[in-house]
Amino acid sequence: MDSKEIQDRVVKVVCEVLGVDAGMVAPESNFVFDLGAESSQSIQLVAGFEEEFGIDMDNEAALAVQTVGDAVTFIAKYVK
Amino acid sequence: MAVQASNQALAGAAARGLDKSAIEAVFSPRSVAVLGVTKSPGTVPYDIFHNILGSSYTGVLYPVAPGKRSIDSVRAYRYLTDIDDQVDLAVLVFPANVCEKALEHCAAKGVKGVIIISAGFREVGPEGVSREQRIKQICRENGIAMIGPNCLGVINTDPAISLNASFARKMPAEGRIAFLSQSGALCTAVLDYARGKGIGFSKFVSFGNKAGLTEMDLLEYLHDDEKTDVILLYLEELRNGRKLIEVARRITRGAGAKPILAIKSGRTPQGASAAASHTGSLAGEDAICEAVFREAGIIRVASIEELFNTAIMLTNQPLPKGDRLAIVTNAGGPGVMATDAAVRTGLSIARFAPETTAKLKAALPAAANIKNPVDVIGDARCDRYMAAMEAVLADDGVDQMLVILTPQSMTDIDDIARGVTRVHARADKPIACSFMGACDVASGIEILQADNIPHYILPEWACKAMTDVQRVIKWRSQPEEQPQQMPADRAAAEAIIDSLPAGYLREDQALAVLKAYGFSVPDYKLCRTADEAVQFADSIGYPAVLRIVSPQVVHKFDVKGVALNLQSAQAVRDAYRDMMAAVRAKVKDATIDGVIVRRMMPAGHEIILGAKQDAVFGPTLMYGLGGLFVEVFKDVTFALAPIGPDAAMRMIRDVKAHSLLEGARGTPPADVEAICQSLLRLSRLVTDFPRIAELDINPLLVWPAGKGGAVADVRIRLNGENQPQ
Repeated sequence: MDSKEIQDRVVKVVCEVLGVDAGMVAPESNFVFDLGAESSQSIQLVAGFEEEFGIDMDNEAALAVQTVGDAVTFIAKYVK
Repeated sequence: MAVQASNQALAGAAARGLDKSAIEAVFSPRSVAVLGVTKSPGTVPYDIFHNILGSSYTGVLYPVAPGKRSIDSVRAYRYLTDIDDQVDLAVLVFPANVCEKALEHCAAKGVKGVIIISAGFREVGPEGVSREQRIKQICRENGIAMIGPNCLGVINTDPAISLNASFARKMPAEGRIAFLSQSGALCTAVLDYARGKGIGFSKFVSFGNKAGLTEMDLLEYLHDDEKTDVILLYLEELRNGRKLIEVARRITRGAGAKPILAIKSGRTPQGASAAASHTGSLAGEDAICEAVFREAGIIRVASIEELFNTAIMLTNQPLPKGDRLAIVTNAGGPGVMATDAAVRTGLSIARFAPETTAKLKAALPAAANIKNPVDVIGDARCDRYMAAMEAVLADDGVDQMLVILTPQSMTDIDDIARGVTRVHARADKPIACSFMGACDVASGIEILQADNIPHYILPEWACKAMTDVQRVIKWRSQPEEQPQQMPADRAAAEAIIDSLPAGYLREDQALAVLKAYGFSVPDYKLCRTADEAVQFADSIGYPAVLRIVSPQVVHKFDVKGVALNLQSAQAVRDAYRDMMAAVRAKVKDATIDGVIVRRMMPAGHEIILGAKQDAVFGPTLMYGLGGLFVEVFKDVTFALAPIGPDAAMRMIRDVKAHSLLEGARGTPPADVEAICQSLLRLSRLVTDFPRIAELDINPLLVWPAGKGGAVADVRIRLNGENQPQ
């Protein structure tokens, strides 16, 4: 799976969980500051990524990820 | 803007690049943006937004909530910078790790006031400390007045603003009391407590980590706030004690003086108990704080209850012209208890003029007590209370009145309460009430509180509050004193101190420093042999004293390092020999420099004078009677150097055992003037030499009035700053 596919699928999950349009989501977008993720939604995002990619992530490390781009990089480690 | 910010506030704030409008933006914003609002009720971000909305805020409110179109039908913005209009105040409720970004947007938008509610800064450890430093910098560079982080928020009850930018449950009633707190959690309890007592506030600020505006800035602002009469302060730590004193003195005295009442929660510094000197071990932060607050005119109290008990006496009431109290009661027992409490706390019991007694006799039944406390007896109704209150208040010998009520079956509680409010409206003297009980008196208490008449469950609390008011009055009438500069040979002391590394001075060196500063020091010499000791003793006369000098010997008596009352040359020689053997046996590796030889001084009062460089307050002085009084009773007083003669005399008179110096059991009064002069010399010495970390003169021997005093023992420890290489 290449980076672009991972990013597209990450954006899909973000839009579903946070209820935002894809146009708002960029790699540098901060989940909280730019996309308005509340603390419960951060947990939903991690669960959403795990389900979307069929992976089991280190939850503590996953919750520390702050931007969409960083999430793509983080998930890539698990997918590869 | 509704309120003009204090020029003084800006003197301190100006140093941080803040202008007038910045502090005003915090308290009286025309528009507020809440950054990080959520849609989840019960969360801090949601509740703060709703509190502002629900407080009838008169300005414009903008929720900044990325990803949301609206918050409860109020249009939301993704970024602060998306808002077209000017925003005066930003309230940050984002998580700490994005507050820096949010603050950058505030700077870009030209926001002047910021409240950072979010926790996760200095209080969580090194990462939080760095985060806090960065936000401080952004604020400094952009002239932003910041409250917080890690705070409850700010409330302004002025109806022209009506802002509850906090996550307190309810907007408090408007009042004339301002409350500043370092603890956010305590704030919510205080608000609820005050609500139960019918007490309102002008401003309410939880300043959290005080990374931006400190209690000093806020005190200065409130000094000029026309909506505030009394300032209450809760502090957990003091970072700049001297600055607090300077600011507080300006506020509590002079034109536009306002009382400051404070709770300072104690923390015992670890270093205090480990200190080797008496001064070091006794001068803990809390002990000095007590003295400092007194010097600053801050009334320190021990509890929230006391804080408000005194505050309500100071608002909505004239100040009494004196301390003479009249009590009107329908129960003898509480009247006597109140009298006892009044005397105990330092009030005077008013003596009525004959005209007053005549009026009371005419108006009250034969069984009533017409002396003070006036007992209108148990079946009294409103008319009897009114007659007694009016007669008593008209007496020129009465400065203030306490009305006590116990709920008998015939007592018309509400009518009496209304009677008090009528009397209060006409009176130019303060009135306090104690309707004793809880249930039957509740409605009467409400009537009193609705009219802002101070009410106390117990008469003793009323007396304590009235005594605190006397402290405020006394402080205001005290003339401003300048420190007194005693003559000294600074160069001589400097030559000694500058040549030495950190650590204790040898006794001869310490005595030389004191001598340079004008202390009375008996002739002495450091003698390195028995022959030298005898020769010097011969020259000064007997009896003589020998004292060991060794860097390893701090407590000389413990190692037989002191020999007293040596009557002859042979006694000196024997004592020298014995001392060397004893010290070497007890302190195996002691380096012995010799012995100090001096003349034995006559017995006198033993006084301890001490000083230390306190990390928060700088040079701090201690005074007490020596021996048991300091070791067991810890009966000492403190003041910050430099001091003047009045402050020195206050230190002397404030020790509980002072009466011993005034002459007891036929002994003549001690030379208190000599003690005063010694304190002033000490004040100058430790102010001139910040390297003096600790100093104990213990004892200073003081003889009868006119005979002076002299130093019998001294220890001085230098710190390592600017030490020679």
